[in-house]
Amino acid sequence: MLSLLIQKELKNILLSPKFAATFLVCSVLILISIFIGINEYENAVRQFEANQQIAQQDIAQASSWGQVRNIAHREPTPMQIFVSGIHFDVGRLSGISSFDDVKLVRSPYSDETLFAIFRVIDFAFIVQIVLSLFAILFTYDAINGERENGTLKLAFANSVSRVNYLFAKFAGIWLGLIIPLLIPILIGLLLLLVFKVPVGADEWMSISGLIGLSVLYVTFFIGIGILVSALTRKSSLSFLLLLVIWIGSVLILPRMGVMAAGQIVPTESIAQLEAKQEAFQKARWDQYSAELSDIWRSREAEMEGMDENERRAYRDDKEWEWLEKDDVLRKKVQSDIIENNRTLMEESRNRKKVQEKLAFNIARLSPVSSFRLAAMNLAGTDIDLKNRYEQSMRIYKDDFTQFVEKKQEEDGGHGGFRISVDSESGVQLDFGRNDQTLDTSDMPRYSAPKTSLQTSIASSIPDFGLLGLFILLAFGGSFIAFLRYDMR
Amino acid sequence: MDDQHNETIKQAPLLEARNLTKVYEDGVKALDNLQLKVHPGEIFAMLGGNGAGKTTTINIFLDFIQPTSGNAFINGVDVNKDPLEAKKNVAFVSENVQLYPNFTAIQNVDFFVRLGGKSNYKRNDYEAALLRVGLQREAFDKKLKDFSKGMRQKCGIAIAILKDAPAILLDEPTSGLDPKAGKEFTRLVGELRDEGKAILMSTHDIFRAKEIADHVGILNAGVLVAQKTYNELKGVNLENLYVEYMAGYMEEATGSLINSLAE
Ligand SMILES: Nc1ncnc2c1ncn2[C@@H]1O[C@H](COP(=O)(O)OP(=O)(O)O)[C@@H](O)[C@H]1O
Ligand SMILES: [Mg+2]
Repeated sequence: MLSLLIQKELKNILLSPKFAATFLVCSVLILISIFIGINEYENAVRQFEANQQIAQQDIAQASSWGQVRNIAHREPTPMQIFVSGIHFDVGRLSGISSFDDVKLVRSPYSDETLFAIFRVIDFAFIVQIVLSLFAILFTYDAINGERENGTLKLAFANSVSRVNYLFAKFAGIWLGLIIPLLIPILIGLLLLLVFKVPVGADEWMSISGLIGLSVLYVTFFIGIGILVSALTRKSSLSFLLLLVIWIGSVLILPRMGVMAAGQIVPTESIAQLEAKQEAFQKARWDQYSAELSDIWRSREAEMEGMDENERRAYRDDKEWEWLEKDDVLRKKVQSDIIENNRTLMEESRNRKKVQEKLAFNIARLSPVSSFRLAAMNLAGTDIDLKNRYEQSMRIYKDDFTQFVEKKQEEDGGHGGFRISVDSESGVQLDFGRNDQTLDTSDMPRYSAPKTSLQTSIASSIPDFGLLGLFILLAFGGSFIAFLRYDMR
Repeated sequence: MDDQHNETIKQAPLLEARNLTKVYEDGVKALDNLQLKVHPGEIFAMLGGNGAGKTTTINIFLDFIQPTSGNAFINGVDVNKDPLEAKKNVAFVSENVQLYPNFTAIQNVDFFVRLGGKSNYKRNDYEAALLRVGLQREAFDKKLKDFSKGMRQKCGIAIAILKDAPAILLDEPTSGLDPKAGKEFTRLVGELRDEGKAILMSTHDIFRAKEIADHVGILNAGVLVAQKTYNELKGVNLENLYVEYMAGYMEEATGSLINSLAE
């Protein structure tokens, strides 16, 4: 009985005229997205390698280690083929120098603004938008359509249990939609092999996770489609309702989360943060000059009653002590400012983290957000991509600065040039070995931060769970609705 | 006591309505204490105009709606208590048979017959049944979306025949059919009766009822106002009887129509 009902659902889907058309569109979209993704990735790799080489040559040709302008590049990952996430929005490189903080600049979108206008359509986007619509299109009349047709009555004139019937509906529609969708996906994976995209074991695991996630996501929309069709009498109404639900959960709720979180936990802009830092800096220096003038006043007081010679002798005597004291005071100001900058930055960052978390949690009212977040986590193109890179670049910056300092010490002199005063040739500036290229063989190289598969899976598990929960709710709801459904 | 018991066993009705009353949520009393029995080899024609309660009765027999009070039995099983068991013994043809538009006639028949619990049929059997109900061979492998109402009704009765249940419910099965198709349909129903099926058929067609029914019940506003056997009907002018009993109903109907128009 169950298999008969499942077969009928399967046949009903596969024989329906809309199936061939929509299936073709979905397949073509999936394949094109993977194909373009592979191209995009290969371009990015070429660009990455070329840029690294140029940076290498620039370093080698610098006149001295002090002149070296090092650049660290963000490495493309094959996972961006499937989930571009924030890959296109984050800068591709950062200067590495002791003077400036690490800052990723020149994102792919800022370099190629055309792509920013018609944003890249990746696999995750197609699943999120197209496949969810596809699922709704095939489920909105699952129950009420059969009622309108009269086939529901004819079927239930037989000894058929409602539970079996609904279960078969789920199973049949699920198989009828998921299996055909797996075909273009698997062909897409073959493309990876054909184009020799370097996909390692970890990436294959992530891709499998991503496919599983997509299946769960489509399953949710199958569930919600059947639920709404079992709650309504007319398929025209259920279609409208599902469209509203789709717009709400795909387009509005995720954005609402971000907006609401912005209202509830306001954060400051970079400009505001910098203004705060500058204000402190100014106040601190003002305080310093006030302290300094007090000190000098007290020093003057110490010398009261002395004549000019005594004063000079006293000053000469105290000069080092005073200078040292002033230096300590000045250094204190500097460290205070650095300390304050750091705390302000930290506070701001923490607040951003709180806001982010809140935004995600509100957005997770829609399973669409869970899908997006988990997909980005699995692909490693998640919101932390920028932080991960900047952190690892900062560590690299320290390594590199140390290395340069060591080199400069070996070359002698500060700042990379030597001043020699000679009676014959006068003053000479020696910038080191400007006739030769620098030996960069032992220079520390930057390597991309690696997130382990475990962490990326672990961070996506809550969203997998949420999706599962939403699916259970949709399925449970449709069973309750169908057990009370009026067949007439 | 004992005699009565024996009699009920001997004449066990396959379809029985006992004190069936149905009041819809909006307060419309569609059935009022309906009593009827259909035995094997009998056709019971429920005769009544629109809104008389015919479809309501059949829907209760199929457990699509619950009676407000009273019980419906199929082969002695209370439909409301054990619908799955009860429905094993009944086949149903609605006034407008609808099948899956993307399936062929054979595919549709195959599905619904299997759903009815008969899974040993071969294509030959389906073809034989479809030929018997008068469907042209060319239509067997056509999709249902191209079928006329008459063709769909034929498929419906073929499904009922193949399910081979002892009781059959027909809800105005000939309404909207041309006279020839209607006549053929009636002939088929007669054959099924002769095979020993218990058939409950609703209709508003007096002539058709008179032609084949063993029992005719006139249903008016949910009340079975008269019940006649075939023999009793022989000498009776059913048209007059019907009009007589319907008169009150018609007046009511025209009255309310005039009222509603006046408003
Ligand atoms: N779902 C319903 N809700 C309320 N009233 C109904 C419903 N279905 C039928 N009725 C009313 O019950 C009465 C009997 O209807 P029905 O059994 O369909 O009549 P018939 O099939 O004899 O034409 C009619 O007055 C009809 O308006
Ligand atoms: Mg009716």
